[in-house]
Amino acid sequence: MDKYYIKFILGNRLRLIMYFFLIVFGLIIFRFFYIQILQNNYYLTRAFDNSIKIVPIAPTRGLIFDRNNIIIADNKLNYSLEIIPSQNENLSKVVDSLSKVVSISLRDIKKYKRILGNQEYDNSIPIKSSLTANELARFAINSYQFPNVELKESVKRFYPKGSLGVHFLGYINRISKKDLITIKNKERTKNYIGTDHIGKAGVELQYETELHGKSGFQQIEVNSIGVPIRTLKTYPAKEGSNIHLTIDLEMQKIAENAFKNKKGALIALDPKNGEILAYVSMPTYNPTLFIDGISHKNWDKLNNSSHKPLLDRAINGLYPPGSTIKPFVAIAALENKLRTPPFKINDPGYFSLNNSRRFRDWKIGGHGEVDIIKAIAVSCDTFFYGLAVELGIPKLNKSLTNFGFGIKTGVDLPNEKSGLLADAKWKKKRYNKKWYSGETAITGIGQGFTLVTPMQLALATSKIAFPNLSIVPHIRLNSRQLKQNNSTYSTKEISNQTIAWVKEGMENVTEDGGTAAFIGKNIKYKIAAKTGTAQVFGLKEGDIYDEEKIPDHLKDHALFIAYAPADEPKITVAIIVENGGHGGSTAGPIAKKIFDYYLANESPQ
Amino acid sequence: MSLPFLENYFLKKIDRPLFGAIIIILIIGLINLISANQQDITHTISQIINIIIGIGLLYLICYIQKKSILFFAPWAYLVSILLLFIVNFFGIESHGAQRWIDLGILNIQPSEFLKIALPLMLAWFYDKYSYRIDYKIHFMAGLLVILPFYLVLSQPDLGTSLLILWGGLIIIFLAGLSTKFITASFFGFLISSPFIWNSLLLYQKNRILSLIDPFSDPLGTGYHSIQSIIALGSGGFYGRGWLNGTQTKLDFLPETTTDFIFSVFSEEFGFFGVITVIAIYIFIFYRCIWMTSKMNDNFSRLLSAGLTFSLFTGFVINLGMISGLFPIVGTPLPFFSYGGTSMVVSLISIGIIMNLYINKSLIAN
Repeated sequence: MDKYYIKFILGNRLRLIMYFFLIVFGLIIFRFFYIQILQNNYYLTRAFDNSIKIVPIAPTRGLIFDRNNIIIADNKLNYSLEIIPSQNENLSKVVDSLSKVVSISLRDIKKYKRILGNQEYDNSIPIKSSLTANELARFAINSYQFPNVELKESVKRFYPKGSLGVHFLGYINRISKKDLITIKNKERTKNYIGTDHIGKAGVELQYETELHGKSGFQQIEVNSIGVPIRTLKTYPAKEGSNIHLTIDLEMQKIAENAFKNKKGALIALDPKNGEILAYVSMPTYNPTLFIDGISHKNWDKLNNSSHKPLLDRAINGLYPPGSTIKPFVAIAALENKLRTPPFKINDPGYFSLNNSRRFRDWKIGGHGEVDIIKAIAVSCDTFFYGLAVELGIPKLNKSLTNFGFGIKTGVDLPNEKSGLLADAKWKKKRYNKKWYSGETAITGIGQGFTLVTPMQLALATSKIAFPNLSIVPHIRLNSRQLKQNNSTYSTKEISNQTIAWVKEGMENVTEDGGTAAFIGKNIKYKIAAKTGTAQVFGLKEGDIYDEEKIPDHLKDHALFIAYAPADEPKITVAIIVENGGHGGSTAGPIAKKIFDYYLANESPQ
Repeated sequence: MSLPFLENYFLKKIDRPLFGAIIIILIIGLINLISANQQDITHTISQIINIIIGIGLLYLICYIQKKSILFFAPWAYLVSILLLFIVNFFGIESHGAQRWIDLGILNIQPSEFLKIALPLMLAWFYDKYSYRIDYKIHFMAGLLVILPFYLVLSQPDLGTSLLILWGGLIIIFLAGLSTKFITASFFGFLISSPFIWNSLLLYQKNRILSLIDPFSDPLGTGYHSIQSIIALGSGGFYGRGWLNGTQTKLDFLPETTTDFIFSVFSEEFGFFGVITVIAIYIFIFYRCIWMTSKMNDNFSRLLSAGLTFSLFTGFVINLGMISGLFPIVGTPLPFFSYGGTSMVVSLISIGIIMNLYINKSLIAN
């Protein structure tokens, strides 16, 4: 080989390698073309996904006020400590060092781990929520020691009045899996992004949609380790609306206090428009317990209590109406041309059905000569036994239905019960047994199968006060969307004379000789009322009810319905005091406190 | 100072088309470096100093005599080998490999110097024995390649060592190694590769595997590869605009000033910018090959071709690497990546090619 040969080979091979390189250049250009032009959209999306994080903005929950703008459900600032999981892989070390400043319980760590297990992205998770002022201060001073721990400020539900009015107010709780499905079915998932809480009972549940508002979100640019660089776009949250209630919180407080330790319920209505002024169910509980998920211990305590504090007696409590049903039975009779004054009976102290079975009056020896007005005033059982038997269940029930018994009142609160107006058909279906006329007799004095809610009683009483108005009880002030009253159930057809007689009877209840006469003493306005006593257990024929000898939980329920002032009704109440004994003596004074407050304030005379 | 003065005294020996194209690339590279370093211009300033040093050396080399180059060739090789030994024992560790020597104010990377020293040595060697080139000579040339290859490999820097091996083999190929031998050794390698593979230790196998398949290490090099392709792809035709690339700005891209500097450029200037820059590179490549083909002696042609292919192997590997065609081997893009040694070496290579071209008629065969 000589130099020239090498030169020849070199020239050829130089060209060869040059071509090889040019082909590789071509490949590279094609590769760039493929990635940059053909797959541009795909990689542009990937670049956005890389750098843009969607951060939800939870809406602030609407506040709840009473009719006088007193706040019942508030929000208050809450401080929590949050950490980003990827920056704090050694959790126990973080917890150890944080524990020197704030107390971190096992429950906090469990909560953290649960959220960590559920989340898809590396979002920050609270390790300690609801810092006390002390803890907040301690953390603030030592925050330089915890560069990876972030102090977050948020708003949290706060019930400043504690347990007051808890049954209409309800509470919020953490969103459960079941709630998530409900939200999804209502296609409202988007509204709840970033929210942890949802209304579970009462107004908090009923007006959830409005109170909650809609979530917004922020597009935030983050760098490769997830640190936010800047906010690109903000779609603000639609804050929840405030809700004003018809409740008069002062009256509510008076009513709840009036119950003392007794169980029971009270509804106070404005009979002209159906506004609920007071809504009591005793005993109560503290809604604050539920906000961040109630502990097992507290839940068991509430749920297993024999006093059933969680039961909303006002619309879910079913009670025999006792004698409070009598004015309505009287209307049914009068409208069917029965017992029209001056018709009288002579009450021997018992009613004898078919000359075989005796039904006792509450007053041994009887009330003497009784017309329908006196029958209401003295609560004459004998009068109503016979009346009911003669009238018959179908006609009675039809009239009672017009007052809203046996059907839901349509109040704007969740899970209302409809009560019960029993008849032969119902008994057959329920017990597969025949209806006896004795059962008709006791239905006339509100024992039997009949069950009512305090709300139904309050509504029915209001209808006596104003039979021509078709009101729906409601708790939201200025409600626009009320369920239309079914026109088939109306009290408008009732004659003025009938109403006048019944009203006279009820007014006489608080007069001398009436069952609640002592209430009518020394007041500047007139109360129309009806007392009631509902048996918790049946006395055998011949047994005498002796309040002294009976254990508390077997004592009769005391009932009381009333409206006042009698000539120009401004307020109606329905009260049940469980195991309260006689209606006039335990429930009556509660009503009087309400009236004194309301009427003295409303019309000082 | 008039233009003719400049032309006569300062640009007389410079190949103007080649020099012009390189200046354009350097300017684009500097603009890009500002963005690549998050608008911090400290890198840009020191890169300008690197360029000034590099161009000064390029200029100097254009004016020295060709026989000086010939004279320096074996010394350059010996010094580089010596430096490699030093770096293997006293070097600075970075990214798990020892590549740098700390000289106080500046760190140098001896493996980069081999990109000049090895072609110089091989060209000198073949020129010295040009009267009797046979298998023995090729074999000795092969040893000259294997020595630095092995030293760099043990740093350990598999990527750069393979580049050195490749650059050396190209020169041996150009020097006339018979096609029969190449074919035979190729098949020989294929047949023996299973045995070689079996004789390797597990960590060596893993190293080779992760080089071939970056996705076997998705959070390491694979992650880098993916982020680089996203940067390229999101650039589209016109790019996302200077300083506006999110992959760069938000630290999704690794090594934005060195290995992945062209990903930054691709994201911000798009396919349009990429094509423009590649076109300039191809012009530089073509100009170098053209100049090589005009040279008359084997030393010049071997050296010039060796330097050109060495430069453009770096170019090809870098672009292939950032676009996911090749594994991540960590090699800078000549004239573009931040780094003094690489910049100076690349400019010296161009200086040598210009010198050889200018002096083509002075030494006749």
